Amino acid sequence: MADSLVLGISTDFLTAWNFWIGVGILAGIYGIFTLGLQLNVGFTGVLNFGQAGFMAIGAYSAVILVVDVGLPFFLALPISMVITMIVGLLIGLPAVRLRSDYLAIATIAFSEVIRISVQNLRGLTGGNQGTINLELANNRFFSETWTSISSWMSENLFDPIGLTGNEYINLPLLVVIWAFLAILAFFLAKLVRTPWGRVLRAVREDEDAARALGKNALWYKLQSLAIAAALGGVAGWFLVLAQGSVSQEAFEPIFTFTGYAVLVLGGLASFPGVLFGSFIFWAVYEGLRALELPLTSDKDAALRFVLVGLVLILLMAFRPQGVMGKKEEMVLGD
Amino acid sequence: MTEPASTTATPAAPGAGSAPILEVDSIYKHFGGIRAVNGAGFSIPKGSITALIGPNGAGKTTLFNIITGFYKADSGTILYEGESIFGTPSYEIARRGMVRTFQITKALSAMPVIDNMMLAAPNQPGENLIGLIGRRRANSRREAEVAEHAVDLLERFNLAAKKDDYAGTLSGGQRKLLELARALMAEPRTVLLDEPMAGINPTLGRRLLEHMHDLRETQEVTFLFIEHDMDVVMEHSDEVIVMAQGANVVKGLPEDVRKDKRVIDAYLGGGGSRDEPGPESRRRDASAAAAEADSAEALPPPVAPEDPSS
Repeated sequence: MADSLVLGISTDFLTAWNFWIGVGILAGIYGIFTLGLQLNVGFTGVLNFGQAGFMAIGAYSAVILVVDVGLPFFLALPISMVITMIVGLLIGLPAVRLRSDYLAIATIAFSEVIRISVQNLRGLTGGNQGTINLELANNRFFSETWTSISSWMSENLFDPIGLTGNEYINLPLLVVIWAFLAILAFFLAKLVRTPWGRVLRAVREDEDAARALGKNALWYKLQSLAIAAALGGVAGWFLVLAQGSVSQEAFEPIFTFTGYAVLVLGGLASFPGVLFGSFIFWAVYEGLRALELPLTSDKDAALRFVLVGLVLILLMAFRPQGVMGKKEEMVLGD
Repeated sequence: MTEPASTTATPAAPGAGSAPILEVDSIYKHFGGIRAVNGAGFSIPKGSITALIGPNGAGKTTLFNIITGFYKADSGTILYEGESIFGTPSYEIARRGMVRTFQITKALSAMPVIDNMMLAAPNQPGENLIGLIGRRRANSRREAEVAEHAVDLLERFNLAAKKDDYAGTLSGGQRKLLELARALMAEPRTVLLDEPMAGINPTLGRRLLEHMHDLRETQEVTFLFIEHDMDVVMEHSDEVIVMAQGANVVKGLPEDVRKDKRVIDAYLGGGGSRDEPGPESRRRDASAAAAEADSAEALPPPVAPEDPSS
């Protein structure tokens, strides 16, 4: 009987650098993704549940612009960001008028509409097989430019300090993503301390009070949503670069929920909290793979979610403001 | 006692000679079957202090919400400084200089007191993203100005020591004061106060009232306030408007209003028909309320239409 319940913990993974670089890349991508959620939820009181949809638009528009339209990589990226922002504004225009819980439902519906459209517009998006289909059909690859940058970085920056070989092949991407994440978090943290950010926080606290003082609350909510959408778009590019290609499954609502888990972990109304929360979340979630359980892989995956949930419940019970959040600025469950 | 507290003819109100700053006429607003405001109308001279009183459920706060753009009336006219603000969004009305407070205070609790104050200041280029990047110097100059003014006002309201505390940590009375101080930060020309004295200790309350008179004298700020404390109303207002069942019953000098039989009836809920108990009358439907408004033939017509001719 003891044999059937073998709980093994392998320690190989602890020294597997490519594994941890992979975890870091995911944490970085979903960190950028969650920065947008933090701006919406933590600073504006907008319950955006459609972030995965914005990520999809960023990812697919960048790929289509490079692969299909033939634009240079570095031109396609800002254009795809603008596209994502415009979509954010268009969705926001009707949605920000809704009360926060209805807005949550409307945005989650939006993100599913995007995902299912992506799945079905095969000619444009590659359908279920994902962007690789599109790339093969056009014989042009989205990550081409990045691959050459990446190998230059490996040769000139990491090889000299001994970080060579297959183990470190994704190190350049990790560095670039975390540099982006840190710079964006820094600017956002500065932005919310300006008069503009002060209005945002007032809207979060009480829209009517903000209006009574001459602030156009709807417009500020729209701006917040558009910026969050753009950040989702940026996360989308990096997801394509990290995975080589993407398909619709990468944009299921569950990824927005993980963003919220990161928010709760790191603390609401704190941008450094997003970096920290994202790292912890992905390290725990991926690290749990080291548990070798006598389970099928789908049950194993489900159990990992259960354990992450347990961590979140414990956190809610003992430190409801999250690791880096301020108790006074808690905006959920007040 | 039967002498009507005549409306527009009232001579003594200070500033009554000057042009009205706010004219409200024939406002109707219903929520489902309930007619919350049923033809209310009045005009307020610039630089005056006017009290709006009436029993609970008379439609005072609804009327406030309509004037300040938080609700849209079904019909009627609202002129502010001679221009129609009917249907104008609330934030736009505030920018035009008409600022309000709320019956249930809206302190922005997860923000420090000083941020509550600084938020209200107008003309801050840093409040839009383009101004934030393009006009950095103007932005920081304005911030410094605003911060100084905020501290000044907080001192007057005994809140300076709480400057860096979160507004959520203030007591109920302090929140009320903060809300008023914040409204004044917006540099208003007209202030609408919804029960400013409720929950404030008398000393601070007096301070608030002194400040109101001071602003009226020095800057010609106009005040319209809803209040249930009759001593405050009688002592501090130039004119009193009495509302009942969505319409204004009387407008006049405080001493006249106090004596007016219709006002007493409105408060007792009788509306002239003694056989009907008070609370019952409040539940009467729209048609009954309208009929009553018609039946009170002594009721002076809404003020606004008469004003231009005077």
